[in-house]
Amino acid sequence: MVKRRKSIHETSTTVIMEDETDVSTVEEDQTFTNLRTNLAEINKFEGILGYILRNATSATIDLKDPAKLVEYAILSSQALDSSQEISELFAIGEIESVLIEGKDTKALCMAIGENKVSIFMEKNTDHTDILKRVAP
Amino acid sequence: MNNEVYTFALKNTLNEIKNVCPTVSNTFIFKEGKILANDKDTNEETATHTAQAFDAITERADALGGLETVTIQGANGRVNIACINDFYLTTVTSKEADEKYVNTLTRVLIPTVLKLVEKIHPASINDETLTTVNPEPEGDNDTYKTTIDTEDYEKEQPKEETATIEPEPIQEQPEPEVNAEPWLPEPPVTQFIVENLGGLLVPSDTVRIDNAVIAQWKELYGDKKIGEVDLETLNGKTARFKFKPIKDSKQEGKGIIQMPEKIQLTLETAKGELVMVKPAIE
Repeated sequence: MVKRRKSIHETSTTVIMEDETDVSTVEEDQTFTNLRTNLAEINKFEGILGYILRNATSATIDLKDPAKLVEYAILSSQALDSSQEISELFAIGEIESVLIEGKDTKALCMAIGENKVSIFMEKNTDHTDILKRVAP
Repeated sequence: MNNEVYTFALKNTLNEIKNVCPTVSNTFIFKEGKILANDKDTNEETATHTAQAFDAITERADALGGLETVTIQGANGRVNIACINDFYLTTVTSKEADEKYVNTLTRVLIPTVLKLVEKIHPASINDETLTTVNPEPEGDNDTYKTTIDTEDYEKEQPKEETATIEPEPIQEQPEPEVNAEPWLPEPPVTQFIVENLGGLLVPSDTVRIDNAVIAQWKELYGDKKIGEVDLETLNGKTARFKFKPIKDSKQEGKGIIQMPEKIQLTLETAKGELVMVKPAIE
């Protein structure tokens, strides 16, 4: 049985799809929930423009400018894929974080277990502090 | 010809960066997917794949206002791709590398070399036929260096002429100075925070420096003996003193220099202040 629940809070869109529950799924869900709570807190910080959190079954997106949703989603997905490729080329091991700095803004992408996190922020925001808060 | 000189300059700069920072494992420069120069340990195929993967990000980075830098932090190392004067410099470092130091070095050295080469060969920088591969000439490095130097002076001469000149005796031409005296890289400057060094048996003319920094100097200068260091305070006071490695392993890697009170007085500095240190190479 597949249940779908959709909740929308202002600019935040949460889509959760749950499969049959087993132990690992429960753990994954717990990680996802913890990350979502953490990111919701981080999103209140000055300079943070929003975040995208996704795994194979769920996604939470909260952006101050929802019009950039598609662009940001494509960028974060591509960044993690390309970074994976580059990390294999130079054998730097499992990716801990990817920082993409543009002329106006920057994005911090991470893969935490099965969850992929992208946080968008203004260029002068301290990304190291954000990184410590997401993956201490 | 100009392009060869250009690539040669960049390639040497990349190799020097590796010499100065042993934690840098690979460096290369690319533009629009073409590899312009790579260090001796980076193969072109790897560099090309990296440039392609990076371009895929660039194409999707309009939302950030155009891409400037990508930093991938892995469990064992870091890859940094940064835009410098329309070029992209890739630096691969180990996890232990001092990111700020490496970035400062690369972001000063590369633009300086680019500017310098641009001044010497203004046409080459935007030339579409820029040499993208780095074909090392056959023979050893010294021969290569001499060839390039000669080419630099004779760059305007057509190839055919060079070919006819080659068999003629050139004994009267003086040997380039490079061959007479081995070239030494500029002493690297490291910034340290002053720490007090006291005790009965402490020599008053000797400072103590991080072992890792001394190892870097040794690697850079090989057999050349380094017995003293030049110190400079932020106020511009300079002096030369003997040095030894820091004894206490707990104090290593903290970016400090242990200094007896007498030296602190000479330099008009004190605990907690910054000093610039470089090896005294004669």
